[in-house]
Amino acid sequence: MIKVERLAGGYGKKPIVQDIDLEIEKGEFFALLGPNGSGKTTLFKLITGQLPILSGDIFITGKAVSKLTKLEKARKVAVLSQEVQMTFDYTVEEIVSLGRYPHQKGLFKILSSYDRQVIDSVMKITNVERYRKTNFRLLSGGEKQRVLLAKALAQEPEILLLDEPTNHLDIKHTFHMLDLLKEWQQTKGLTIFAILHDLNVASLYADRVALLHEGSFLEVGDVNTLRKEQQLKQVYEVEVHAQAHPFVPKPQLHLTPTHAYEPEEAPLAERFQVERVEEIAHLRFYQPLRSLSNATVGEGVQWLQHFCLLKGRVHSKQSLLDGLEEYGIPPEQAAAIGFNGNLQHVVISERPFLDSQLLVVAAIEASDNVDAIHLMLFINGQLSDKALFDGYMAATEAKVKACQRFQLGAVQSAKDVLLIAGTQVESQLYDLEPIIFREGIEQAVIAVLKEAFEKIGGSVDD
Amino acid sequence: MQKSSIRKFLGNKITWLYLLSIGLVLGALLLGLFVSSVQFPIMTILHIVLDKSFGLGWLENIPRNEELIIWNIRLPRVILALCVGASLSLAGAAFQGLLRNPLADPYTIGVSSGAALGAVFVIFFQFTIIGLGSFTLPVVAIISGFITLGIVFGLVRLSSRSLAIETIILAGIIIGAFIGAITSLLISLGDRDAMTQIMYWLYGSVGMRGWSHVQLVIPFIIVGAIILLMHYRELNALALGEEAADHIGVNVKRGKIMVLIGASLLTGAAVAVSGSIGFVGLVIPHLVRLLTGPNHRHLLPLSMLFGGSFLILADLLARTIIAPKELPIGVITALIGAPVFAILLVRERIGRGERG
Repeated sequence: MIKVERLAGGYGKKPIVQDIDLEIEKGEFFALLGPNGSGKTTLFKLITGQLPILSGDIFITGKAVSKLTKLEKARKVAVLSQEVQMTFDYTVEEIVSLGRYPHQKGLFKILSSYDRQVIDSVMKITNVERYRKTNFRLLSGGEKQRVLLAKALAQEPEILLLDEPTNHLDIKHTFHMLDLLKEWQQTKGLTIFAILHDLNVASLYADRVALLHEGSFLEVGDVNTLRKEQQLKQVYEVEVHAQAHPFVPKPQLHLTPTHAYEPEEAPLAERFQVERVEEIAHLRFYQPLRSLSNATVGEGVQWLQHFCLLKGRVHSKQSLLDGLEEYGIPPEQAAAIGFNGNLQHVVISERPFLDSQLLVVAAIEASDNVDAIHLMLFINGQLSDKALFDGYMAATEAKVKACQRFQLGAVQSAKDVLLIAGTQVESQLYDLEPIIFREGIEQAVIAVLKEAFEKIGGSVDD
Repeated sequence: MQKSSIRKFLGNKITWLYLLSIGLVLGALLLGLFVSSVQFPIMTILHIVLDKSFGLGWLENIPRNEELIIWNIRLPRVILALCVGASLSLAGAAFQGLLRNPLADPYTIGVSSGAALGAVFVIFFQFTIIGLGSFTLPVVAIISGFITLGIVFGLVRLSSRSLAIETIILAGIIIGAFIGAITSLLISLGDRDAMTQIMYWLYGSVGMRGWSHVQLVIPFIIVGAIILLMHYRELNALALGEEAADHIGVNVKRGKIMVLIGASLLTGAAVAVSGSIGFVGLVIPHLVRLLTGPNHRHLLPLSMLFGGSFLILADLLARTIIAPKELPIGVITALIGAPVFAILLVRERIGRGERG
């Protein structure tokens, strides 16, 4: 659909973009990425014809772009750029009608009934029908952009070129607009070439992306290109971490600013306080911890500040949330475990761990048998995701070992909750000696569990 | 079907506006012929006009002098006012659309100053080109108007290959100021008599011109108006900005040149036969835009019609207020136009405030 061969061009004699080779298929959503000044807009303007080509060729539907007249081109290619400056109070309908310009024929170029039909249908699709007679300048940014999209679609283009079309839009309107484009792409086979600012949005909507760096392509490929953290770091000079989207098999990027979160240096004992009353055991940390858990409230990987055992409340998430609310604990910053045992028997034990400290909370539910063992581990140090999972495994294994060693019989572990969290204070607890890290956790967990079993009156054979 | 009824209503509104403006033109024409120091019955006037133009007279024994006054003095005067008013308004609407500036008028790009300089030159040196006689002045004015357009074009092309709007405005203002200075120089060098004559001419008048001036101006108006009316879609597209216009397939450069030529033809011809009549080309397009919206498809023709009748009525005032003496017509248009212009300025500022 669009083919670019060894293209170079820019303002004046010196090329801003060079060695550009590109082929975009019919019906493809292609996103052009790159930081400011990388030449995105220059490349865009070379394709729209606003800037002269210094060398190389651009072909649109097989024809060299320089051979197409403006009208021929406008019948194939529509452009939607950032917000436009509008003079005079044109109505929305008049603006959308301008999109029919390249199709109008005859001496006086009056809108035909087919033109009107197209205008009506694109206004319906972009949901601007009710603004038909409204003054364009009075619309909000999102509405304006939809009107301009309607104008572009009224050209009945095969190719739509977008220059940061969602620049002035909020999240809602960004997604609305891109959803609309995606639908048009999929139902009508529209080819879309877009400059997008937001890498995460590009990842969600584009079929392929090109990464432009200092005027030439660093890489062209599918959105998994965005998983290459080093490459992105080189281009954008920002700390980038690719993460999985929870529901869509596409990467999402986490960016780390220079002035990122830096937890205070302090021993673990000075980082939290414990509140243990009739119905709740509540560990409140003064700064959030990065935690991994299977707790009903606070599951997965999260930054949390409150860690609670709530008496009873094992039946539903809602009862836990209600409990948190009762004690004035913000649920979005809390992990909560429903607990059916005696809160006074919960062991909270701090111990040295490598050259730092580790806090273990062990809560055992027992009647005749041991019903459930809940563990919370807090490490004063920096834990990567891998360290969190390693720690999680070590703790689980330790729990099983402890049960065997203390001969607790068949332990029903289906209800067990395990949580591990790091204060993320700069340290190298894990990176230097992963094996020692895991062993240390194992030993600590076994020791604390022993204490906890004794507390509930179990005879522990060691 | 609510939508189609709305459309029908709006269609009707536009139709009504056309009918109204045509009625206004006819009414103004008749009023212009009727009101004067010596009044003739309307029937006599109608008879003379129809008899002379179509041979459809029905009255007998019309005195020769009445016929002369109506046909040779009053009619060319109102027709000229109609032509000049229509030209200036149409040119003004086109310039405002082209330069995307609601404050532009036919005199913005300096063609009028060129035409005026040519006229002042003729008055100052009191020369006549052989074979042209009293026609010398408008012919020289039109020619110097086009020379000025050429100079402005040259200057714009030299400084901006893409004919940027800002450059066009700046070049127009620079050339206009320069030529204005030469005009002032000529005025200050002349004797008192020439000075009065020049000043009077500059303020503008459509009186005492006769049919020859009407015949001179009409071809330019027809060509200029056709050029502009054919480019109404380009003018609409330009409101989005030149890039956006280019994206929908408009040949922006050619469109700009055509509109400039068309509007300059109208302005140059109007100034050549009537002097620099101000404010018509600025205010009438604004008023029409308030009625029809900015769509040039209707704005352009309606500006012509309204502008024409406005100038007939302004001329009527100019020659009746202190009859038997005459005021320069430019005084009347400015007296009405300036306050309207001021109101529009304030409206524009308030409008910006509301939006920003």
